[in-house]
Amino acid sequence: MAPKKKDEPGFSRRSFLKTVGAGGVAAGVLGPASTAEGQNVKAIGPAASPIQLNVNGKFHRLEVEPRVTLLDALRTRLNITGPKRVCDRGSCGACTVILDDRTVYSCSMLAIEAQGKVIRTAEGLTEGTVLHSVQQAFCDHDGLMCGFCTPGFVTAAVALLEKNPKPTRQEARKALDGNICRCGTYPRVLEAALNPKSAAGVKRG
Amino acid sequence: MARRRKKLEAGSWKLEAGTQQPPPPAAQAAPPPAPQGPPRNWPPVADRTLIGKSIKRLDGPDKAQGKAKYTYDIIRPGMLYGRLLGSPHAHARIKGIDLSAAEKLAGVKAVLALKDPAGEGANGKAFYQGDEIAAVAATTEDIAEDAVRLIKVEYEPLQALATAAQAMSADAPAVFPKGNVSQQSLQQEGDVEAALKSAAHIVEGTYSTQVQTHTSLETHGGICEWEGEKLTAWVSTQAVHGARDGIAGSLKIPQTNVRVITDYMGGGFGSKLGFDYQVVVCARLAKLANAPVKLMLNRKEEHLVTGNRPSAYAKVRAGVDAKGKLVAFDAETWGTGGAGAGAAFRVPYPIYVFPSRRQRHRDAYTNAGPQRAFRAPGHPQASFITEVVLDELADKLRLDPLELRMRNVLSATDPSQEDPSRQWRKYFPMGAEKIGWSKRHPTGDPASGPIKRGMGCAGNTWGGAGSRATRANCQILPDGSVLARIGTQDIGTGTRTLVAIVAAETMGLPLTGVKAEIGDTNYPFAPGSGGSVTVASVSATMRIACENARDELFAKVAPALGVEPSALAAKDGRIQVKDAPSKGMTWREACKLLGVQPISADGAFGPGLSSTGTSGVQFADVEVDIETGVTRVKRIVCVQDCGTIMDKLTAESQVYGGIIMGLGFALYENRILDRNTARMVNPNMEWYLLPGMSDIPEIDITLVDQPDRGPVGLGEPPVISTAAAVANAVANAIGVRVRKLPLSPDAILQALNEERTGGTL
Repeated sequence: MAPKKKDEPGFSRRSFLKTVGAGGVAAGVLGPASTAEGQNVKAIGPAASPIQLNVNGKFHRLEVEPRVTLLDALRTRLNITGPKRVCDRGSCGACTVILDDRTVYSCSMLAIEAQGKVIRTAEGLTEGTVLHSVQQAFCDHDGLMCGFCTPGFVTAAVALLEKNPKPTRQEARKALDGNICRCGTYPRVLEAALNPKSAAGVKRG
Repeated sequence: MARRRKKLEAGSWKLEAGTQQPPPPAAQAAPPPAPQGPPRNWPPVADRTLIGKSIKRLDGPDKAQGKAKYTYDIIRPGMLYGRLLGSPHAHARIKGIDLSAAEKLAGVKAVLALKDPAGEGANGKAFYQGDEIAAVAATTEDIAEDAVRLIKVEYEPLQALATAAQAMSADAPAVFPKGNVSQQSLQQEGDVEAALKSAAHIVEGTYSTQVQTHTSLETHGGICEWEGEKLTAWVSTQAVHGARDGIAGSLKIPQTNVRVITDYMGGGFGSKLGFDYQVVVCARLAKLANAPVKLMLNRKEEHLVTGNRPSAYAKVRAGVDAKGKLVAFDAETWGTGGAGAGAAFRVPYPIYVFPSRRQRHRDAYTNAGPQRAFRAPGHPQASFITEVVLDELADKLRLDPLELRMRNVLSATDPSQEDPSRQWRKYFPMGAEKIGWSKRHPTGDPASGPIKRGMGCAGNTWGGAGSRATRANCQILPDGSVLARIGTQDIGTGTRTLVAIVAAETMGLPLTGVKAEIGDTNYPFAPGSGGSVTVASVSATMRIACENARDELFAKVAPALGVEPSALAAKDGRIQVKDAPSKGMTWREACKLLGVQPISADGAFGPGLSSTGTSGVQFADVEVDIETGVTRVKRIVCVQDCGTIMDKLTAESQVYGGIIMGLGFALYENRILDRNTARMVNPNMEWYLLPGMSDIPEIDITLVDQPDRGPVGLGEPPVISTAAAVANAVANAIGVRVRKLPLSPDAILQALNEERTGGTL
């Protein structure tokens, strides 16, 4: 069934959810650098606050209300629309982005919490006009149909291969289990994730 | 007004589309209209450079880079965000709507009431959860959400019907003006009662399938932008022309003032065929706010109001004679498509010959979102019911169910003729060989231990003919570029790539030498992408438009080469004399002869380039844990045809996709309504379960190419048989019939328990 069994250390969606579930709520009230005891804590919001996000190698300054998710900030403020909002509650993976070196569901993280992190989306994986080898593999193996889930799958596959350049079939399945495709491209996506043409394209960002 | 129209559209679509059941293949051979102009053919198989090869999607790179802009992604200057307020109640009278607080909220630019507390019928009532009550447009989505919360609606909740059984019970409240249940329809042939009396074995049982929601990843909706009286609408739709008709009709404005654009769209599966009410609301908000508005549904609304595959119930008696010939199928059937008609399906499934058959059907109306066409409407339901009954009859006969199928499957009307649209007799043995059917044990895995293994199979049929209304345009420009334009849309099937394949093949150019432009009502009419009509409609029509354009170029070039135009061929980037290929010129040189005037040629759909009717079979190999009830599908084998394969790569993807959606229907997907309130319990993607990467079995596809037939649609056929094959495999594994879908762990444990305490077989 669709529920995710991602309990391997390193790329666990479950641990991600735990982190954001707890941290996200607290941060929404107290701000990103909140510590216990309320000492020197600057409350922010509910009005828009200035933040800075490092997305795809560029710094962006923007003003968002603390309630704005990373996904909405990317999509509606920065016009970075590769990450999609599909389920809006961390169960489909269409909004997957790479934060530092791990995948997160950007619908389930606040934009103010993503400050100071290196954020990468499918758009940022291309070098100039040359597709990332994983993106190329998705095209070669037809790992996309309507394509709405594709940026999420691509980022999940890239994050996997950066950690584990030679995953087994089982490891790849597990790493991609947090993404849903309604067109049913899974067999093709798996082949793409397992067979990017040049290992050189798979490198740490 | 718009509302009433929408409901009609939703209910009547299936009949218009003609997708409910294809006529039997023999009846489809209607005489084609007299061909106009030259006879049309595809190039001989040996000469095809693109058609039938594995061609990568042209828009793959844009999609893989996140650069493809879907309706959901488009941001227009000054754009506002729209949101809807839907009824929380499945059935309620609207007694008051107070918009004042929402209107006062900073950032809110337009607010609309969509119901009238004084209104009659559907105007003053909500008939299902999510029924639209009001709408807001604001500068951000968050503010629009805030404003929706500030709208005060006074509801008088009324008793709601959650299930077909509730709607059909004698003491049900009168919810729907014309009754809770439709008139009974009757289909029959032969004397069913007499035939059943003559049968050696009879199976009796009640079979059912659940409500499935389309769950397109991109939700329904659009962006509307007015410029004076002219409206541009970016819509997530399967039918740009249909959407224009619907929007213009609802707003009572001329169709010439409406342009609909669908560049990329994120899945529809039938739910985006009819035009959508929310786009009309969006247009009204945009007019009111005097700014572009984007209104896309959220996930919950998508589950509630954008259609579903109706449930199906069948109380069946079926008989077989001692020689294994089917004799009769008698079914009383019903189902619910929510607050709309259209829950009909035809049993027995038309690929098996039951000389006597009868079906009495009624639609039950419930307080749930109306059904819409869903990938092969009626077929997966009918296939499940019929194929499971067939396996039960085989068990009674102690006959291999594959053998029973071989003895009763429809074959060519004239036995001396091969009928390419009725290939089951050939495909069943092919599939059996691949799955290892000879190793199949009789019903009930005798192995010890809790894990039981089993196999099952099922067949399918579909029409998939092209639409004669299709038109296309092809331009050849003096610099040698080629533009192929058609008002179809790519819903994930690869239509954009298909258009380019046809144009390039016809011009003798590489794929990069042509440009395909689709998804715009400014281009010639093509039908909505439903009923698997697209590939046949678009390929045939674009071929004709391109041939017409190419022939005009031949006429320009012929004098320069000193031959008749008919002596020329376009091949390998050259225009050359057929019999003397060295005599010719490059494509670019030829196009230079045009001077400054491009060629623009139209094409109308014509016969001879496409066909109708597909056959396919699927086999499943499963493991069931009888302690937990969990089914794991190990392997699916599929043998499927679709006429001429246009693009092998995307055709195979389509089959994978159909099978995987069929697995969802077989095992996981289920729209659950609370039986007291008729509110959906799982309007999300955690509890509305879809197959994920780890659920996918090994899938073995044999696509049978029929290169002389021309293309036939492939979107729907592969989704039909999967659930039936899996259900038969599960019964073969555990020795107990589960007569309902989905085959969830609880359903399997319940069936096993019933067997222990009394038996279902």
